[in-house]
Amino acid sequence: MKMMWFHLMPYPGLPDDFNTKHRSVWVDIDPALFDRDVMASTYDTYIDQLVYAEDCGFDGICVNEHHNNGYGLMPSPNLIAAILANRTSQAAITVLGNSVALYNPPLRVAEEFAMLDLFSRGRLIAGFPVGTAMDTTHSYSMNPGTLRPRYYEGIDLIMKAWQATEPFAYNGRFNQQRHVNPVPRPWQQPHPPVWIPGGGSVETWDFCAQNDFVYGALTYYGYKMVRETVGGYWARVEAHGRDDNPHRLAVTQFIGVADNDAEAYKLYREPAEYFFNRSLHVYPGFTDAPGYITEASVRARYKSQVRQVARAKQAKHDLTWDEMVENGYVVIGGPDTVREQLEEAARELRIGHLCAMLQFGNMSDELTRYNTNLFGEKVAPGLRNMFAEYPDPWWPQNAR
Amino acid sequence: MSNSAPRRLIYLFGIAGDVELSPAMRAVESTGWEIIVPSVPGFDGVAGFQPRDEYLDWLTTFWDSIDATGATPCPVVGASLGGMIAAELAALRPEVVTRLALLAPFGIADAANPGFNLYGTPAGERMAHLFAKGVPDAFATRFADRGPEEAPVAAYLSDVAAANILWPLGDRGTAKRLHRVCQPRLTLWGDLDEINPVTNAASWGGAQVIPGAGHLLEWDAPEQVSAALLDFLSSLAR
Repeated sequence: MKMMWFHLMPYPGLPDDFNTKHRSVWVDIDPALFDRDVMASTYDTYIDQLVYAEDCGFDGICVNEHHNNGYGLMPSPNLIAAILANRTSQAAITVLGNSVALYNPPLRVAEEFAMLDLFSRGRLIAGFPVGTAMDTTHSYSMNPGTLRPRYYEGIDLIMKAWQATEPFAYNGRFNQQRHVNPVPRPWQQPHPPVWIPGGGSVETWDFCAQNDFVYGALTYYGYKMVRETVGGYWARVEAHGRDDNPHRLAVTQFIGVADNDAEAYKLYREPAEYFFNRSLHVYPGFTDAPGYITEASVRARYKSQVRQVARAKQAKHDLTWDEMVENGYVVIGGPDTVREQLEEAARELRIGHLCAMLQFGNMSDELTRYNTNLFGEKVAPGLRNMFAEYPDPWWPQNAR
Repeated sequence: MSNSAPRRLIYLFGIAGDVELSPAMRAVESTGWEIIVPSVPGFDGVAGFQPRDEYLDWLTTFWDSIDATGATPCPVVGASLGGMIAAELAALRPEVVTRLALLAPFGIADAANPGFNLYGTPAGERMAHLFAKGVPDAFATRFADRGPEEAPVAAYLSDVAAANILWPLGDRGTAKRLHRVCQPRLTLWGDLDEINPVTNAASWGGAQVIPGAGHLLEWDAPEQVSAALLDFLSSLAR
């Protein structure tokens, strides 16, 4: 199993009364809440933490893209990834990813990812998420009805551009270009590994299975809540005649490791409560836009009790710490406890790539490094050999 | 129009889709007008609807539906997003529109006062923002005849079609073509319109304001709207 260190880069200074005084952490969040000095030093701290993760033995370090967001300060993950590529030497630079439809033309993504792959000498994982409704339709005002076809076409253009041996013309529904000829091309040939972060869309499962891309089940609610999504994905993988190599899947998980279970329970409560009850305070009106969800997924949603329960919990924003722990939103404990839970989760869901989120909410730098170091020293060694019998063709050529 | 011409008009429905004829339009119908409502993909809630790539595709879709009725040339009444389409029809195909009645048309937005963000609102709360006097049963039970499993999907598809046309501000550049509208025109607007504020009426050269009416004013104020429409339509023969 590959273990990766995933940073959301949350703003650490949302006020205690944020939920009562503000309607949403996303889209229309009050810009006056952000202090420029705090913001600048936060970037420094978070980038250092990602570099530290490589020192602690993590196989990859992950960044992602959000807009108008108080818990994700990376509207341009490529800027962060460029720094990481320069400051690290072994970890996979995992950008999960660039919301392709937001780039005009999407060829910009092909160019920037190729640069990152060159900077890192072949350590890039290229993530192509659709992007949330909050990011795409509300913050960037993309038409929800055409977002997905634009997204699919953008990926098609990027993949063709990366692999073309000579300039070509592209005549798509949304993109027409006479001279597609990105310079540079990526270090990795024929292209960097492609991962598709998703939230449970039926079409995304099929898209990954058809194209042999990794599916990234990016959830804030842990492995227990993502069972249904992952089960749906594996069913589509089988339906498309693909093998069940666990490396086809990546899953995010909040994790808090301490010397023992009691200590972990005490240490990680505050940052978890900050994240789940403050950072996820998203106005429900922003979570959907007509057309963002496909007809097939809408039908599935009406039949999915699990998802409805999850959505209700997400809207609640008054989760107790015990609920977070019991439901697996955050896996906490001493090293053995954490390893056992993660091993169980990995075996049940067939997780070949674990995206560990070891900084969350307003977790201090000191605690983040403690958590990261303990995981690297005492948890990761017990998990690393899982699924070693399977090849991982979705891993960068020059990453550890 | 001559006195021998059939008294028929085309009605283009609003943002909440094609449910049933509004009380205002029924009142017009009761005076002998034939009301023809084109069936438009997406708004019919039929499975398999695909959003259009661009506005021109939507105009083509609407015009195909309108032409299929065989009713033109005739007066066109357009409400909400249907008003925007009706104005485009009048501007770009003037030969098919003899008179143009617009009820709170979309098409020209004011960034300083964009109105209530309907699609930035939970789906279950949206309808209430379209009316000033409560949500009519016809909209509260949209597509109920499709059954409990299909009704919400059909309603979703209708909203997908509307959002596909109007995203993000309901402005598709109609102002650039408005000078081409040469037909006699009536514009009505509810003073309590939340999502397309009555202040936008100025961009259309003004409007007859209906007090106490929300965005779908033909439901909120049927008497006033039907009276204004009938007066406008009857002037054809004067």
